[in-house]
Amino acid sequence: MSEIKSEAGLLVYILPFLAIVPLMHNQGWDSSESAILIVAVPFVTFPVILVAGQLYNGHDTWKNKLKEGGILALGALGTSLSAALWIVYDYFDALPDFGDQHSISQWLEWVSFDLLQSDYTLAAETNILGVGVWVDSVTLMLLFVATFLCFLICWFSLGYMNTDPINEDRNHRFYGEFVLFALGMFGMVLADNFLWLFIFWEIMGLCSYLLIGFYYWKESAAYAAKKAFLTTRVGDVFLMVGLFILYDIYGSLEFSVIFHDPSLHGTVDSAKLFWALLMMFIGAVGKSAQFPLHVWLPDAMEGPTPVSALIHAATMVNAGLYLVARMVPFVDVGHHGVPGLEDLGLIIAYVGGITAFMAAAIAFVQNDIKKVLAYSTMSQLAYIFTGLGAALWFYNHDEHHAAVVVFGASMFHLFNHAMAKGMLFMASGSVIHEVHHAHDHLHHGHGDHEHFDPQDMRNMGGLASKMPITATAMMVGSMSIIGIPLIGGFWSKEGIIAETWLAALDHEPLMIGPAILVILTAGMTGFYMSRMWFMTFAGEPKSDVVAHVHEATPWIKEPLIILTVISALGGIAFALLGATDYLSSSYGNAGHLKLHESTLVESVIYQLEHAFLPENQNLRLVGWTTILLSFIIGPVFAARIHGGPLAEGESATPAVSWLVRISGKFGSQDVSALSESDLAEALENRLYFDDLYEGLLAKTVLPMAAFAAWFDRNVIDGVIKQIESNSVSGSLQIRTITTGSARDYILMAAVGMLSIIALIWGIGS
Amino acid sequence: MIDPSWIAGLGVILFGIGLIGAFTRKNAIVVLMCIEVMLNAANLNFVAGTMYWGGSDGWVFTAIAIAIAAAEVAIGLAIFLSLYSTQETISLDEANILRN
Repeated sequence: MSEIKSEAGLLVYILPFLAIVPLMHNQGWDSSESAILIVAVPFVTFPVILVAGQLYNGHDTWKNKLKEGGILALGALGTSLSAALWIVYDYFDALPDFGDQHSISQWLEWVSFDLLQSDYTLAAETNILGVGVWVDSVTLMLLFVATFLCFLICWFSLGYMNTDPINEDRNHRFYGEFVLFALGMFGMVLADNFLWLFIFWEIMGLCSYLLIGFYYWKESAAYAAKKAFLTTRVGDVFLMVGLFILYDIYGSLEFSVIFHDPSLHGTVDSAKLFWALLMMFIGAVGKSAQFPLHVWLPDAMEGPTPVSALIHAATMVNAGLYLVARMVPFVDVGHHGVPGLEDLGLIIAYVGGITAFMAAAIAFVQNDIKKVLAYSTMSQLAYIFTGLGAALWFYNHDEHHAAVVVFGASMFHLFNHAMAKGMLFMASGSVIHEVHHAHDHLHHGHGDHEHFDPQDMRNMGGLASKMPITATAMMVGSMSIIGIPLIGGFWSKEGIIAETWLAALDHEPLMIGPAILVILTAGMTGFYMSRMWFMTFAGEPKSDVVAHVHEATPWIKEPLIILTVISALGGIAFALLGATDYLSSSYGNAGHLKLHESTLVESVIYQLEHAFLPENQNLRLVGWTTILLSFIIGPVFAARIHGGPLAEGESATPAVSWLVRISGKFGSQDVSALSESDLAEALENRLYFDDLYEGLLAKTVLPMAAFAAWFDRNVIDGVIKQIESNSVSGSLQIRTITTGSARDYILMAAVGMLSIIALIWGIGS
Repeated sequence: MIDPSWIAGLGVILFGIGLIGAFTRKNAIVVLMCIEVMLNAANLNFVAGTMYWGGSDGWVFTAIAIAIAAAEVAIGLAIFLSLYSTQETISLDEANILRN
């Protein structure tokens, strides 16, 4: 206990960081001006951590007091969080008077240039690429999610990374890259033009690569890092092409120009804009790991668990969603958008539906606890894509109310998913860490490390009695992901499914595909998340390690508890505040916040009516089907196969013991026949997508790379080597005239001077 | 008043003497003296030019050049001292280890 207290004492070191924001407030800074802090503090901190880590590696103070840079990282992220909270507060403070005003502050012109026209004269106006901040409700939501989770996961890392001997003297690299990633994410969310959005987007891609490959000496980690980098690069090339087309259309990449100049929209060619937005969407597909560029995300779990929690579940993969959310002003025909882009919404919804279903199916057979969560992430992000696709479709069809509702629901699902999934990954990290620790303790010196996988759920079981906080956290997080009524993701998921069905039934028959896929996925989510929980925490222990597991590592529990509360109650609180309407207000009518329109009681009734009992009869059926599938059918099947009571004499904490008891009641079902079927094998091989891509690469890219290598070695290097050998022999010639005699040198100087004089004379006359 | 062209002519002659001396003599100190002679030939040219065109630029340049020449002599002599202490000679024909 005293050890934990002294650990907490280290928080003293982050106080100077936290003083920055109040100080700026006292100096009369505006909250939107302080937005630069959110990016600038991490920008200053990451080189400090890396350099200091190199200089002081192994020093006592650096290691134990500063946690190899972890405390500095925590301080920097805490500063970003407090500045972000200040902006959020100011925004809400101003809301009743101003509606959804964008607070923009453009600091400086970064590059200005004149364009050459086709007749080789310069264009009249100078083009400017600026640097600035753009804040509206979508920005705020993502900014809060990013800063909050970065802070909590950094906190978690202090326990997870610093107590693992394998990371010793390497953690400064982890924290430095972690802070650089945070800088990229914050910058991308705040950027006020697509160019800077893209730059920060690439910084995140780089950090993702570096952190997946944190254990670079493991071949699988190096391979996974390469795979993630190259796969997302495919999407990024498309994104870049999309931005080129966009610049061609509008002559600018600034949000303020593109979104708010109605005269531009009137003259825009909708086919051209369609291609621009489609290319940008492909970029989003790569970043958010959607079909068909989804193959990198499961392998990315090779990175340390905090990295999986932060980058590959809670923040970076949301970048693609953010980009799609930024497309709304282009298609919103009620507000000067360009008509004729319904197909874009359909394509996005289909990609989302297919990914949601496919990822959920693959998650059925995964035994690695992090892989289950990875596929779950893909599936949930796909939900949000489906919702955004439906929203874009509605906006383009001028169905304003439905568009606002489903857009808000999608953004809200992003929030719920980020909170729950960040917490689930941290909880899985807690499980892995403690199981690994217990295994080391048990088999100290026996050296069967190679055969024991602390991430394999087949080595767990019955952990509910050993890890009460983790078990509770994981239960609440899973409930939020599944969409158990009244908890977290229920509200948002219900909205997405209902509005997709609304589009399919009342407007566009083709939307029925995504609609059916997402409602089936709701049931499948119920199965695989429950399966994960039951395999890990319920039933009898499946290996001797389990008996030695303790929840003892400091720094790990606090973030879990905070996020458990948010996941459990955040959904209901936001639902009561009318968050789904509010979050989409930046593109809708101002003043959607229900709190200002009616009493709290009315607001509660309104939200309950719309979640459980929508006015439309068909939607009511859809809603209750979803609840039936996700709440009853999925979990019950999972409990029948994997559930069971704990071993004799073990008792779990009351928060989860009821669930373990219920799961034991369903008895057990033998599914070994099913697990040996062709389908299960195909799912275990990830539906052969990885094999297909590798085969394609071997046929196309590898020969090309071999040719390029030959060309480089023989042609390019050949030219350079020829130049080099020529200059060597030339200089051998020249050095014979340096005789070493001062007399010769004087002669040369005199002759040179005389020839210069003669030259001037000749020119003059 | 002397015609400036006489002064310039004296400068040319002095420069020629200095140049030939720097070419032909072996002793480093004599070579240094020849260089000083050339420098002073240039100073005479400044003086002649200023007398011909008027103004005071040439006087100033001359004063600076004399100061620099004094510093240069000090450095030159120091080089010869250290040359002598390492090579035991100040003959320019023998000090040729920087060849090729």
